[in-house]
Amino acid sequence: MFSVLICDDSLVARKQVAKCLPEDWPVAVHFARNGQEGMAALQEGKGNLLLLDLNMPVMDGYQVLEAIQAAKLPTKVIVISGDIQPEAHERVKTLGALEFIEKPIQPELFYQVLIKHRIIASQEDKSAPQLDRLDPAIRDCYQEITNIAMGQAGDHLARILNVFVKLPIPNVNLIESAELHMMLQDIEDKDTVSGICQGFVGPGVCGEALFILSDSSFADVAKIMNIKGEVDDRVQLELLMDAANILIGTCLNGLAQQLDLHFSQGHPVVLGQHRNITELISTNKTRWRRTLAIELSYGLEGYSVHCDLVLLVTEESMKVMNQKLSHLLEE
Amino acid sequence: MAHNLFNDMPEFHWMMDMLQTVDVGLVVLDKDFRVKLWNGFMESHSGLLPSQVRDKVLFELFDEIDKAWFMNKAKPVFELRNRAFMIWEQRPYLMRFPNYRPITGSEDVMYQNITLSPLTSTTGKVDNICMMIYDMTDVATGKKQLESVQVTLSEIHERG
Repeated sequence: MFSVLICDDSLVARKQVAKCLPEDWPVAVHFARNGQEGMAALQEGKGNLLLLDLNMPVMDGYQVLEAIQAAKLPTKVIVISGDIQPEAHERVKTLGALEFIEKPIQPELFYQVLIKHRIIASQEDKSAPQLDRLDPAIRDCYQEITNIAMGQAGDHLARILNVFVKLPIPNVNLIESAELHMMLQDIEDKDTVSGICQGFVGPGVCGEALFILSDSSFADVAKIMNIKGEVDDRVQLELLMDAANILIGTCLNGLAQQLDLHFSQGHPVVLGQHRNITELISTNKTRWRRTLAIELSYGLEGYSVHCDLVLLVTEESMKVMNQKLSHLLEE
Repeated sequence: MAHNLFNDMPEFHWMMDMLQTVDVGLVVLDKDFRVKLWNGFMESHSGLLPSQVRDKVLFELFDEIDKAWFMNKAKPVFELRNRAFMIWEQRPYLMRFPNYRPITGSEDVMYQNITLSPLTSTTGKVDNICMMIYDMTDVATGKKQLESVQVTLSEIHERG
């Protein structure tokens, strides 16, 4: 893991600098209270990046820079100091520092410096092709296995309900946590909805299935299922659960078969009945950043029934899935 | 084969022991809903011994079960090999078992989540299904309490 050493004699300054590190930057942070402690930490390899104060007791920043040059350590150094004299800037740069940032440190400026010197960009570059955009070949592959699974699910639904199911084209995307709401909002614009979610997990692959049925569908679903009498909340929950069981179960079975693994399914949880989609999903933004989202919208021919199945798979799971699907990806 | 079986005996024994003691109800039912397996959880909570329920039809043992409803749920499990989940929000319980905590529990009955899972025979057909019964009483009690607090809160709000 990339390590950052913050070397400053002031506790407040150390805390402030630590707070300025980009939130989603996976680094190990170490601290030193003076140049001597700092050098000791660098010798132990605890500092791919050194954020260095100049005025410190025991051994000051200039001496640290000299010592780094003498020992030929590969550490990248950014000086963060309250010394605003132009000469100080010049001196540290000739001693090998990449940049001089004046105190108090400003997160935005600091971030720009990290990017300018490719300290952050170099981190992102590595994972960029997989993360930022879904490789067309991989997307195609996911789309294909979903097609197969979804066809089976549609067939099962058709057999249980005795109707013709209009099969959708699966929509496969890598989305940011903030985009989930937007994506779901697209699904249901005006109508209120009812939803079920269910977690699933297999070796190395985990995610959640969301099943969302628009409330205007219930009347027709009840008709198809031959339910006489009032379609109250309880009857609607039954219908919702029945449809969710079939679609989620069959889709997951289909995917598991093709991935050659087995999914355990948790207990389904009612997200809510007759709500706005935004009320239904409260995303925990801190826990995940990106997720693979597979959207399927089913309709029933001749009825105004509309339901959506969204499979959300964690980013980490994609590694295992890609590996399992490598036979499909080979030219 | 016989040799393998002999070697596997301790493991088989442990497996049976675990099925017997796991704190989840396990029942195997055939196509006529006759009981084929009844684990320790089921025995303890129902008070019925495996010998008393073996080959008996589930609906005859527990008249609180809505037969049509349950058969409807089991249908896709037999026919489509699809797991079926029933949650306490649909029906608080399938079988009326007393609360696991008779003294400190606030509800009289055990709220249950039920999972039906297909058991494939050697011929590839689903002749039996496995029913798992989970105690959800604490979750249900918590949710009911939360809802009643929310109602009280909104009443206070309305009164201003």
